[in-house]
Amino acid sequence: MASDVDTAPLVGRADTMAALRSALLDDVAPGQTAAVFLSGESGVGKTRLLAEAVERLRDAGALVLTGTCLDIGDASPLHPLRQALRRLDADLTEARTSSAVRGLLQVFDEETPGPDGAGALLERVSRGLHLVAGGRPLVLVLDDLQWVDRSTRQLLLYLLAGLGDLQLSVLAAIRAESLQGAHPLRRVLTELRRLRSVRVVDLAPLDRAGTDELAAAIVGTPLPPEAADQLWQRSGGNPFVVEELARDLRDGHDGLSDTLREVFLARVDALPQPAHAVVHAVAAGVEPVEHWLLAQVVRLPEDQLIEAVREAVAHRLLVGADDGYRLRHRLVAEVLAHELLPAERAALHRRYAEALTSATAELHQARLAHHWRLAGEPARALPAAMAAAREAERLHGYAEAHRHWSAALTLATTPPAVLPDGGRPEPVEADRAELLTHAAESAHHCGEHARALALLEELAADPAGPPTCALHIRRARYLAAAGRSAPAEAEYRRVLAAEDCTPRERATAAARLAELLLHLGRYAEAGDQAREALRLAADVEGTASEVVLASSALGFSEAYLEDPDAGLAVMREALDIAERSGRPEDVACAYLHLAELLTGPLNILEEGVVVARRGAERVAELGLGRTWETRLLAIATNGLFRVGQWAEAEKVVAAALRHRPSGADAVELLLARCRLSVGYGDVEASDRDLEAVATVLAGGGARHVLPMLILRAGLAMWQGRHDLARQAVQRGLTESRSDDVIVLATLAWHGLRAEAEASASRTVEVDQNAVRRLREVVDRVAAKSGKAGAPVRYVADGFLALCAAELSRLDDGRGDPELWARAAVEWDRRNHPYPAAYSRLRQAEALLGRRSRLATAGKLLRQAHGTAQALGALPLSEEIRTLAGRARVALDEVPAAARPAPRPRAAAPAAPTVDELVVLTAREREVLAAVAEGLTNREIGQRLFISERTIGVHVSHIFDKLQVRTRVQASAIFLRNNAD
Amino acid sequence: MTEPVWGPVHQDIVGLLADHPADVPAVVDHLTKLQDLLVRLPPLEESCPLADFNKLYLVITSTVLDGLYDDRFTDPAFLARLDVEFAARYFDALRFWTDSHPSTPKAWSCLFQRMRGPDARPLPSAAAGVNAHINYDLPFALVTTFDSLDSEPVDGSDQHRDYLEINKIFAERIPELRRGYLDHWQLMIDMVNGDIDDWYQGELVEYTRNVAWRNAQKIWRCRHDPDARECERMRLDDNAALLGRLLLSPLGAFLQ
Repeated sequence: MASDVDTAPLVGRADTMAALRSALLDDVAPGQTAAVFLSGESGVGKTRLLAEAVERLRDAGALVLTGTCLDIGDASPLHPLRQALRRLDADLTEARTSSAVRGLLQVFDEETPGPDGAGALLERVSRGLHLVAGGRPLVLVLDDLQWVDRSTRQLLLYLLAGLGDLQLSVLAAIRAESLQGAHPLRRVLTELRRLRSVRVVDLAPLDRAGTDELAAAIVGTPLPPEAADQLWQRSGGNPFVVEELARDLRDGHDGLSDTLREVFLARVDALPQPAHAVVHAVAAGVEPVEHWLLAQVVRLPEDQLIEAVREAVAHRLLVGADDGYRLRHRLVAEVLAHELLPAERAALHRRYAEALTSATAELHQARLAHHWRLAGEPARALPAAMAAAREAERLHGYAEAHRHWSAALTLATTPPAVLPDGGRPEPVEADRAELLTHAAESAHHCGEHARALALLEELAADPAGPPTCALHIRRARYLAAAGRSAPAEAEYRRVLAAEDCTPRERATAAARLAELLLHLGRYAEAGDQAREALRLAADVEGTASEVVLASSALGFSEAYLEDPDAGLAVMREALDIAERSGRPEDVACAYLHLAELLTGPLNILEEGVVVARRGAERVAELGLGRTWETRLLAIATNGLFRVGQWAEAEKVVAAALRHRPSGADAVELLLARCRLSVGYGDVEASDRDLEAVATVLAGGGARHVLPMLILRAGLAMWQGRHDLARQAVQRGLTESRSDDVIVLATLAWHGLRAEAEASASRTVEVDQNAVRRLREVVDRVAAKSGKAGAPVRYVADGFLALCAAELSRLDDGRGDPELWARAAVEWDRRNHPYPAAYSRLRQAEALLGRRSRLATAGKLLRQAHGTAQALGALPLSEEIRTLAGRARVALDEVPAAARPAPRPRAAAPAAPTVDELVVLTAREREVLAAVAEGLTNREIGQRLFISERTIGVHVSHIFDKLQVRTRVQASAIFLRNNAD
Repeated sequence: MTEPVWGPVHQDIVGLLADHPADVPAVVDHLTKLQDLLVRLPPLEESCPLADFNKLYLVITSTVLDGLYDDRFTDPAFLARLDVEFAARYFDALRFWTDSHPSTPKAWSCLFQRMRGPDARPLPSAAAGVNAHINYDLPFALVTTFDSLDSEPVDGSDQHRDYLEINKIFAERIPELRRGYLDHWQLMIDMVNGDIDDWYQGELVEYTRNVAWRNAQKIWRCRHDPDARECERMRLDDNAALLGRLLLSPLGAFLQ
């Protein structure tokens, strides 16, 4: 019998295992992240594969953390990670790691709710993991990911995006069936599977040969053909089914059972009574069921209990591990579910609840609530549910907290069941208004707006509920968060009109309403409302927040209504008030709005940057570095990029990222850094940031998709991939709102530039359909921006000038120098040297194409080159140099020692007299040959057995040595030299 | 070895399905390529029942794409996401079918099974596809879309109006489709949008065009509860499968 417990060999997964190891460990560059998601139907062997992978990764020197997500719908935030740390702690022998693990576990215990709690916790967790890893590669292995809680999901995306600054690999298993329908992970995986660092492996059942091999291994000899056929038919290659059916065959059970269900039913029936009880007890518990707990629930003497457990394990119904017992498979639970009477099950839950009441265990409150509820004792489940909700809130898990509060509300109205002894348990006593308040607030925090509003209505109907005015304010807040502006506005107006509202409440409502109106683009009304808010706040103590909010609304509305000085004065005054009498957050908020006003609608960039950086220092002093300093530095970075101080911008963004921000703040910074990398022509760094952005956005945040697409298009153009640029622009156009004039204008310019350059370089055919659509977009933007506020029009006009000029390139193949001159002037006026330099390059190109005013063209090229060099804009500089070379314009460049002197490239390519490839190393030639075949870096890497990264390095060297910008140009040189 | 599911075009279809389109232009591109493959599928080739549906779906999706370019919708991000999510479920069903996977939605398998014959009339075939896609796939696509946009299915919202705009696209395209098929289109659209569904559930509903939307709202409310969600999924699958089989039965032929 003992041999039965032995695990069958792992069959048919050798390739998957090898792929896992290389994807999670060997191929991960230092400091990078990687993930493999294994999906497959139940029984296909995911858990088994994970266990095997854990062994091998540990042997290879990785520090492996293993956790399992739970299906009791009311688990606790970050449970799988905490469980994994506890398991590791139990296994550890090294003192140093052990203290790091305990330190991290303590972080969870000591966490307190706070304004930026969730983000700060992510940061602390990644620091903790850093210490735990101690320089080893860290692998986080999670089973049953389909039950993952929202906080863990966000943590995974945060770490995978590299924001935790941690070299980490994730291996997770998901049951494929769960992903059907509307599972939240579905979309996350769809987005992630596009990334280079992520693989989604669909684990298929075994093939016929694998099935036979596994069966033979279990039975000891190959099966006779007939039995093998039958086994293949019944199992469909599912290893779990194969294994169990084969065991039955081996043990001489008469005939092959038709289903696994029958197999397990027969085994359950064969169990002696104590083992039977043990199996049922584990089925009613929350896995893993600790030994001490099981002992209290089944009430057997120790030696009998151990014997019973051994029996259950030997019958392959139960598995034991250090942390407790689990059913061998979910199927066992399903078989058992129909075996117990409801009263028996309730009794088991009662014993669990009683045992847990007297001792603390993992997930203490959530488990207590779960067991008391199923024991039919709502009055005792209720306090536990409330405690579990508070516990979840402490860890910023509002989604989980909301579920616990909702459960508590249900419990409060559940009539208690009749006890086995005929008595009634104590009646439920609960403060319904309190429960409703908490449930609504947690729903609001986790984005369940409709639910939050519905709960608020119940609260309004409750006689013990809050006063009407407070209700209006909360309703307005919830409505605004849900994006339902019209009803939100009505609620704020009700507060302002209500008799029973305090002056403070009225000031709050007025300030928030002003902010709302501003977002709706109703600038004049926003200004009036803001003035009203300032008037209301003037007579009330402690309203600095309201003053800051209202002043910013007023400042922006003035800026849009073309009285920038007045707006600026208001905002400066608000900063003074905040410094004098506000909380630290008010000061931070005032700096932020002032910097936004300056760098945004007013376009006073230098001053905006100064304010943002001064603000960043100030808020750091005030202890708000993580959130506010990060945001202020993001504004500074973008301002510095625009005024052309790229090196400075790079420093600032690096400083901001040291705070390891999360969510939208992180995305802003990654996009800002990526914008710089695209300008520098650093493809690798740009790609990395774009991947990181996509990783974070897989968890939500649609509004950042468009900037990401614009950067993707910009990068693709420097790579000569005009088809990819076109795709990114097309996606952007189909996903942007028609009132988002600036985004549309930017997209239109990128799209037209891609088509114009495709036409000039002949890399891809011009898509006339796309050009037609882009023309329509340009017309629409022109019409809409005429009606938009002045600051919007100002920016849009700059892009429209570029669009008009690109269109002239498409129309006659040469471009209209006048239009390019105009674009250059527009961008000079906006103090934005990068697009201005680009426009000068094109203006020179158009002049040269017409063979007119060659001296002017030379001057323009020199000017553009100077700017591009000062910025460090390599791809732009190179394009300018290429054109200057063709036109024999001297750029009075300091001859760069590092760069080989540009080789004159004959306008009419004559047969080369020398091998142009002589400058390349043997390896570079190999790479170039593959490039000329049209392979991607990844494909070349696979072919030459070196990493994709290294290929990227080779390719850039090749480009440098051959003085080309695109793969197509490089390929052309290769083919020319290998023509014979 | 048994014959591959997609016969001579198996590798092409597997290759096509390996890619997951991320935006509406890519979805249209995918459907176009799929159409070219489906009409080459023996034994029915040009009259492949799935091709009948795919063609209709391609027409509708292309119209949606034009609408997105032409500023037809208030919240294009929502509609584009919905369109991609919606199509993803059709491609998922095709992938499951390719692997002969037991998870192939029943709503779809009843149509897929007919690819080997007997020959079905184009209209009921297309209708069976529309049925599976709207009555089964659409509610889930809606829920996933709202979830990823941090938004919610609220009646009367911009998204709801955009969603209803698609009904107009169906209506606009019907005269054309009628020339291709038959006059009973309107009837079919009414059926799959609700009438029959409601009829056999014995529910009296106020409006019939909004079944998928209302189902999405229902799923939305229980989306964090795996059991309730799965229960709802099975209900929708069973209902859609029942209607699909009805459409593909001799009774469905009366539509032609």
